[in-house]
Amino acid sequence: MNSIRVFLVVVILAVITLFSFLAALRGYQSSMLEAERLFDKQLLDTARLIANIHTEHTARNIGSEASLAFQVWHGERLIAGSRNAPETPIAPFEHGFDHANFAGYRWRTAGYLDPASGNWILVADRADLRYALAENVILESLFPTLVGLPVVGVLIWFIVTGGLRPLRTLARELAARQADDLSPLAIATPKKELEQIVTSSNGLLQRLETALLRERQFASDAAHELRTPIAALKLEVYNLTRDPGTEAGLAGELEHTVERLGHIVEQILDLYRSSPDRYNATFERIDLDALAREVVAGMFDAFERKRQGIELDGAPCPVLGDRFALRTLLENLLSNANKYTPAGGRILVSVGRSGDNARLVVEDSGPGIPEDQRAAVFERFYRIGRDRHPSGESGCGLGLAIVKRLVELHRGSIHIGPSRFASGTAFTVSIPATEPPTTAPRAPRKQDGSDS
Amino acid sequence: MRILLVEDDRSITQALERALRTQGYSVNTVVDGKSALLAVASDRPDLVVLDLGLPDMDGLDVLKLIRGRDVDLPVLLLTARAGVDDKVAGLDCGADDYLAKPFEMSELFARLRVMERRLTTARTAEITIGTVTLDINHNLVTVDGEAVELSRREFMLLKSLMENAGRVQTRDTLESRLYSWGEEVSSNALEVHVHHLRKKLGAAFIKTVRGVGYRIDSE
Repeated sequence: MNSIRVFLVVVILAVITLFSFLAALRGYQSSMLEAERLFDKQLLDTARLIANIHTEHTARNIGSEASLAFQVWHGERLIAGSRNAPETPIAPFEHGFDHANFAGYRWRTAGYLDPASGNWILVADRADLRYALAENVILESLFPTLVGLPVVGVLIWFIVTGGLRPLRTLARELAARQADDLSPLAIATPKKELEQIVTSSNGLLQRLETALLRERQFASDAAHELRTPIAALKLEVYNLTRDPGTEAGLAGELEHTVERLGHIVEQILDLYRSSPDRYNATFERIDLDALAREVVAGMFDAFERKRQGIELDGAPCPVLGDRFALRTLLENLLSNANKYTPAGGRILVSVGRSGDNARLVVEDSGPGIPEDQRAAVFERFYRIGRDRHPSGESGCGLGLAIVKRLVELHRGSIHIGPSRFASGTAFTVSIPATEPPTTAPRAPRKQDGSDS
Repeated sequence: MRILLVEDDRSITQALERALRTQGYSVNTVVDGKSALLAVASDRPDLVVLDLGLPDMDGLDVLKLIRGRDVDLPVLLLTARAGVDDKVAGLDCGADDYLAKPFEMSELFARLRVMERRLTTARTAEITIGTVTLDINHNLVTVDGEAVELSRREFMLLKSLMENAGRVQTRDTLESRLYSWGEEVSSNALEVHVHHLRKKLGAAFIKTVRGVGYRIDSE
């Protein structure tokens, strides 16, 4: 029985039924005794009555009700009797009650010695009729209980449901939570029985939050502590490459390795920072188009170093998002395009609306991603061709995992397809836009050709 | 050009001093905030490179104290904290620029050159890139010594691009510089101004980054 409600209703109903029937049984017994006493008294009264109305002459076969039989004996002689009584005494000649069988029935008998005449009056009434009467009385008193049970059951159902409501409220509160919501349960005055559960849950949530904060703090501290030595390493390598005594190949190799080390540390930090609980509070209205311009402008040197043509095709596109997260998303996609597109290649960034979504497409003229590897590139530490990628670029395989996380954070989706160039990849990101697309033309701007 | 380097990590200071000296800078290094304030007060450097994580006080407080006494001294912040908030806080406290560790040496040099150019500009009120010279005080632009007639907005636009030479200026930045807050900007006004500037200064001087903005090469 999995439901507390069903359990309670069944058990309570069973207990009520059991006690109703025990009470009925007890009532039946005491009613039977009471009835017996009453009937016996009546039987004795009848005997007295017969004694009083009895005349001296013999009267046999007196008609009487089928349920009553009587005899009047004077000594050994039967002087009067009902038709249904036999010739023999129907009861012993003594005061008191007894049972006897005659005329095909079982009878309750009574003996009475009339002090005036010295006659023994023996009377009997049918036992089966007595019981039938008593049972009728008792069954009638039991009837309301039997009919009432289903009604009581329904009532109990409602009462139990009402009583369990605080528990259901608590369950709902817990179920409605996001996996990362560690705020205390918002139940102001819990019922006494739930107080401990709420207190314990809140304590647990509190400890969990503290632990998570500590973990994030650790990741942030660790990365922070690593940045300074990496910066020093970079500077030393820079000085080394400028030193005429250094073997060129060695310095280049070193520079490459340090570059990669720094990159991994940054990406791990980004991955930690992209946990959903960090961002929910900081969502604001952001124009994806303007942000894309800013990011492309900031990264332009990297594209120019590889003589890559980068273009942005954008239309105003407000989304609700976190600025740092969206910036990281753009930087990761653009840095990928920059790395894996050969020198002299082309990169096209498009920002615009597509239905209710803001759509960001970053496409390049690079070698492209084979179809069977497209899903895998979003996994952490996955790199196409491992360290033998023809581009010779060093990544750590976290960039797209971070991108995917950030897209999910904005309740969006990302997919990979072929670019519109002869070869290459297109990453398409869709994020819900903040406003429905406006079909009305943009407000005419003041044409300002003449300068003042 | 004399640089005051405020950084407590010895491995960084040593390498940085050497690298900066190869570029012809003279470098004076201090390892804590108090010494930095003392150095700024007693022997004013041309530029300060300030690390935010100092042993004795918060780098931002050092920056505020420097700004309290010396409004014009250019300060470049170095920090291992890389959040947007940290950057905003740094710039709000009066830093001229901000660089997150670990940084590329070439990036640091580029930033220092921009700050240097601003210093030169502030002193001489002139910026020269290639054959183009911009005289800020006299609203005068010359190409190969020949004066060129520019409208006020063309001049502002050119100034903004030349001051930030080597970096792409986005349309948003340029438009907000050109027009006062709230004024309507026609969608192609920027293109029109750039078109005019190119006609007067030569087609190759201002480079377009399609859909993003414009740029003037620093050399």
